[in-house]
Amino acid sequence: MTATSPAFLSEPAERLRASVVGIANGRRGRGSGGAGIAWSGDLFVTSAHVATGSHPTIVTPDSRAVPGEVVYRDAERDIAVVRAAGAGVPAVVTADPRALRSGSLVFAVGHPFGVRDAVSVGVLQAVSPLPRGYGLNGKGSLVWIQADVRLLPGNSGGPLADAGGRVIGVAAMIVSGVALAVPVPDVERLLSELT
Amino acid sequence: MSQDRTTLAALSEQLADAVATAGAALVAVHARPRLPSTGVHWKDGVIVTTEGTVRREDDIEVTLPDGKRIPATFAGRDRGTDLAVLKIAAGSLPVAQLGDPSTLRPGHLVLALARLDEGGPRAAFGAVSATGGKWRCWKGGEIDSWLLSDLDIYPGFGGGPLVDATGRIHGVNSGGLSRALATTIPVATVSRVTTQLLERGYVARGWIGAAMQPVRLDPATQKRLKHEGGLLLLSVEPDAPASRAGLLVGDMVAAIDGKNVDGFDQLLDVLGGDVVGKTLKLDVVRAGQPVSVDVVIGERPRRGGGR
Repeated sequence: MTATSPAFLSEPAERLRASVVGIANGRRGRGSGGAGIAWSGDLFVTSAHVATGSHPTIVTPDSRAVPGEVVYRDAERDIAVVRAAGAGVPAVVTADPRALRSGSLVFAVGHPFGVRDAVSVGVLQAVSPLPRGYGLNGKGSLVWIQADVRLLPGNSGGPLADAGGRVIGVAAMIVSGVALAVPVPDVERLLSELT
Repeated sequence: MSQDRTTLAALSEQLADAVATAGAALVAVHARPRLPSTGVHWKDGVIVTTEGTVRREDDIEVTLPDGKRIPATFAGRDRGTDLAVLKIAAGSLPVAQLGDPSTLRPGHLVLALARLDEGGPRAAFGAVSATGGKWRCWKGGEIDSWLLSDLDIYPGFGGGPLVDATGRIHGVNSGGLSRALATTIPVATVSRVTTQLLERGYVARGWIGAAMQPVRLDPATQKRLKHEGGLLLLSVEPDAPASRAGLLVGDMVAAIDGKNVDGFDQLLDVLGGDVVGKTLKLDVVRAGQPVSVDVVIGERPRRGGGR
């Protein structure tokens, strides 16, 4: 096997970071928030618990504040879709997490505690409902991407990606120390209801 | 750049292969309420897990990699090393492929694995943080080598294996022994304790039945006897190895097997491991005079039925 380059994940991480935005509640782009993903055209995907208002502001990687509007929200699945015309952020490439096996490399990009576009690396644990004994108030029966990767406040709404930088899920929360993300097929299904 | 991408994808595949290989020998152990723990199929029909996760000794079941649940019988536990052993029907799943923990160095890539349900094996990823020789853990057991990593031992990962990038199992991760870093009970310790638990259900520990305290001799006696100090006998239990050998309260043990005593750990060391029945040669100072005493190491009486 060829040795892994010291560059490790820097190339896919750099590409993905160009498609990750900040989500701020309030029109001036200030206040608490999380991350969002440039999904397609003018649409950005984030967590419902990040886009709490109806008109969040999208902060682009080149620090432009673009007004947005929540066009879809599913609190149960913790997904919100924001339309921000003219943001001009390149869309991500997505992949189905069910094609990955446990132990596959994954990485997250987000804004933990306000640090812009921070990268954290780990491995996939499972794409399934949570194990019995990992409590999540009944939401444990939903299918979650479970990963051994460090998520912190500010990562919510940002991408979890495979080793090639393809987005496989939307970072949602930590339960019993395990990082949870909403799988891409669920996001695609919600988006298909939008049209 | 595309070269990086290929090698990165290859690394990701290799990690997933390692998880699949080692995961084939893992079961979920249902021996406590709510959350199962992980067990390693150490040899055919023998499951090893951590002692702290086995809360009941009856009605234990394990979930196999194919999702089937089968009964397991409790074979024994050792609090000192945080290990417990269960028996299942032979041929139920592949046997663990064991590695050699002495080949691991700080910085080596490792995984912690778990099986918690009928789904696939689960993995956490990190590096070996520190390695070293034999040590005695805070639960009292003797661990053959020091193996710490920066892995997260998630709920249910206790009893699961530490695995290298090729899928070899180097030991069992203990949530109970882990502090700031994850602690792995290495292959040698797991195999030694498992053998003893299968033979008699508990681990026999060396014992001589005497309480002692480190002391120093006065300078004149130091010069005369060529000993600086030793362990002073404060009490001797009746019908114990020390009393049978004729040791008396007030004796000072100056050397064990020809080595001058410089602390209490030296006694603990010679009483550790598989030593019951062996003879210790003690150089004793009794009433200012040197005498030699042979003590046959006995088995430490077990409290509470060895649980």
